[in-house]
Amino acid sequence: MSILGGGIFKGMAVTLRNFVGSYINKKERLPTNDYSWRADGALPQSIGDYPKEKGEQLSDTTTVTEYSRNFPMLLHDGGEPMDTVRCVACQICERECPPQCIYIEKDYDENGKYIKRPAVFDIDVSVCMSCQICVEVCPFDAIVMNSQFELSTPNRFGGLLVRRDDLLKSNDYYHKIHPEEAAARDGKMATEKAAKEAKKKAAAEKAKAAAEKKAAEAAKEEAK
Amino acid sequence: MNEEIAFWILSAIAVLGALVAVRKRNLIHGVFALLVFFAGLSGLFLLLLAEFIAAVQVLVYIGAVGVLLLFAIMLTERVAGDDNRRMTSRGWRWGLVMAAAVFVVLLLRPIQKWPSPEPPQPIKPSVEELGKKLMNPYVVTLEVLALLLTAALIGAVTAAQGVRMPKEEDSQE
Amino acid sequence: MSLELLIDILIATVPLMLIFATLFAFTTWLERKALARIQNRIGPNKVGIPCTRIGLFGLGQPAADGIKMIFKENIVPRGADRLFHLLAPILALIPSMLVLCFLPLDFPWLNEDSVKAFLLDGAVIFFFAITGLNTLAVFMAGWASRNKYSLLGGMRAVAQMVSYEIPLVLSAVIVVMMVGSLNAGEIAGVQTGGNWFVFSPWGFAAFVIFFIAALAETNRSPFDLPEAESEIIAGYFTEYSGFKFALFFLAEYIAMFAISGLAVTLFLGGGDGPGLAVAPWLSAVWFLAKIFGFIAVMIWLRGTLPRLRVDQLMGFAWKFMLPISILNIFVAGFAWHAEQLGNRYITVITWVISLAVLYGAACGLNQLNRGKVRPREYKYAE
Repeated sequence: MSILGGGIFKGMAVTLRNFVGSYINKKERLPTNDYSWRADGALPQSIGDYPKEKGEQLSDTTTVTEYSRNFPMLLHDGGEPMDTVRCVACQICERECPPQCIYIEKDYDENGKYIKRPAVFDIDVSVCMSCQICVEVCPFDAIVMNSQFELSTPNRFGGLLVRRDDLLKSNDYYHKIHPEEAAARDGKMATEKAAKEAKKKAAAEKAKAAAEKKAAEAAKEEAK
Repeated sequence: MNEEIAFWILSAIAVLGALVAVRKRNLIHGVFALLVFFAGLSGLFLLLLAEFIAAVQVLVYIGAVGVLLLFAIMLTERVAGDDNRRMTSRGWRWGLVMAAAVFVVLLLRPIQKWPSPEPPQPIKPSVEELGKKLMNPYVVTLEVLALLLTAALIGAVTAAQGVRMPKEEDSQE
Repeated sequence: MSLELLIDILIATVPLMLIFATLFAFTTWLERKALARIQNRIGPNKVGIPCTRIGLFGLGQPAADGIKMIFKENIVPRGADRLFHLLAPILALIPSMLVLCFLPLDFPWLNEDSVKAFLLDGAVIFFFAITGLNTLAVFMAGWASRNKYSLLGGMRAVAQMVSYEIPLVLSAVIVVMMVGSLNAGEIAGVQTGGNWFVFSPWGFAAFVIFFIAALAETNRSPFDLPEAESEIIAGYFTEYSGFKFALFFLAEYIAMFAISGLAVTLFLGGGDGPGLAVAPWLSAVWFLAKIFGFIAVMIWLRGTLPRLRVDQLMGFAWKFMLPISILNIFVAGFAWHAEQLGNRYITVITWVISLAVLYGAACGLNQLNRGKVRPREYKYAE
């Protein structure tokens, strides 16, 4: 029969080991990143600067893995973002979003004809619950999850409404943060494209064969 | 001199607490004012150098009876009343007469300058004396009180159990 | 009131308040760091010297927290009792600070006159009486918030505190019984030379009971059901913001110090330790070191144990702690009489018997209280 309350002492021994171990072998015991400044770190520009780069922000690799996700981002295939943006403003994600945090407006050219790109694409990240439904339903693989987490802002009247231009990120950035997922997605797109091309070629061949057959028949009719 | 000032201050606290307690319509405010009264009373006990009684007054009256009153009030519904309504009760004239009578009786001796009896032997108020007296002449009282409290506790627990549902007789068919 | 009396009172109380306020700031920092290290993270380490980047292991964090609390907006819910909403944190703070005076802390600047007011003959029972006022403050806080959940949290907190007061007082009664006096200074004085009460079986049992009940009295883990954030959204604290919350926090920690101080006085010899003959001022140092040890163990337990459910909490108090404390009183009385005989063998036998009885009773009660798994009984549904 164990000592009365023995479980408590065992638990206390475990926590003591954790406590002491966190000073001795830091790498094993402290998986979180240490944000204290070191002497060889870059100098901050102003008081309160955080170690981050402007523009596309790479995530911190100790707490953010390649499977983490935070809020969505729009993909473009390199170059000028609005030239190669994959989103066509079909508004499926806007309809499927459970808390309805996406707002999309289609883009029209000078004649009023619908161009296949969004004029306005806003996501309210204070509402977004990171459910990834928009990613699942997008037929064009245009919207995927980003793992950027430093989105806090002192502006409480719209600081957390992320506009289209801030949401656009390149496919290379996507490969950097989620390599497996990006490779899988690219592979899927490539196979789909190949399948479509094959189908088109097959359809073209069939059409050609049908046309040839028709020409042959017509020639036969004529020869009769 | 210091004791007089302390007496006046403590008595003022006690009387004010009691007055607020009976005047307020809001029951919770009233109970807290009553607790202030108990605290003033405990201070008066301290003035008489009865430390144990003062501590027990705080412990029992404020800590236990006060909390009990608060629990009981919380389980009722109409607690916060309007203070501005005049508090008139039906027999307030007779109440005034009774209060004056009690006041006169309490002050009768100094008024008539009755000769006070022999002051008793000054017993040093200490917990040890209290304990010895509890054991020697007053042990029966102690045991009866303990029995009374146990009976009250058992009664409270039984009353809190509620009515047991009678067993269903026809469930065996 | 003479000037000397006033100066004596100030000398006795002001340093005490300053020392314990500093200890409070240090304890909040220590708690956050220790809990963080237990949980494999670092804890606050950026707030050090202001306007520089030197984070002195986060030692400036308590000051930063205090300044933040002062500047927060003071929100009182509409329809809440404004007077009681204001009074509740004050009523929580006053008893906690008041009982600090009853601890037999022999600071070197205190002379005979200044401590005379606090060398009460009934110090121990005053301690318990004033600690009981904490329940009132909790109730007032829960009531004044005009919030169903605050009220519920407040009721549960009061029920918990009232239930655990009984084992607390009963385990202190053992020490009072063995010493024969309620004077805190005398109790601490009897234990000089290393024969602390914790080293005897009944004293040790009383110490354990006292410690567990002290954890429950100050709403500390694992008994922090009333104020846990995942439970009832901080219970009776919910509607408090800014400085009032800081006052509640302060009151809780100073109550922790006060009860640790009482435990040190009653069981651990209060100020007893090596080197007293050479430097008498070391007794205050030892006292504070022992209080610090208690705080460390409390923080350690907080990081280790999960929270108790309310029925487990109340069952533990009434079905386990109360019978053990009553049995402990009997055992201690029996042992006291045996020790009066002065025979060494009888003393040893008494110790062994009391150890066996207490441990056996604890195990027996534990077995008795094991919940039996029964088919569910519906009292109100048909």
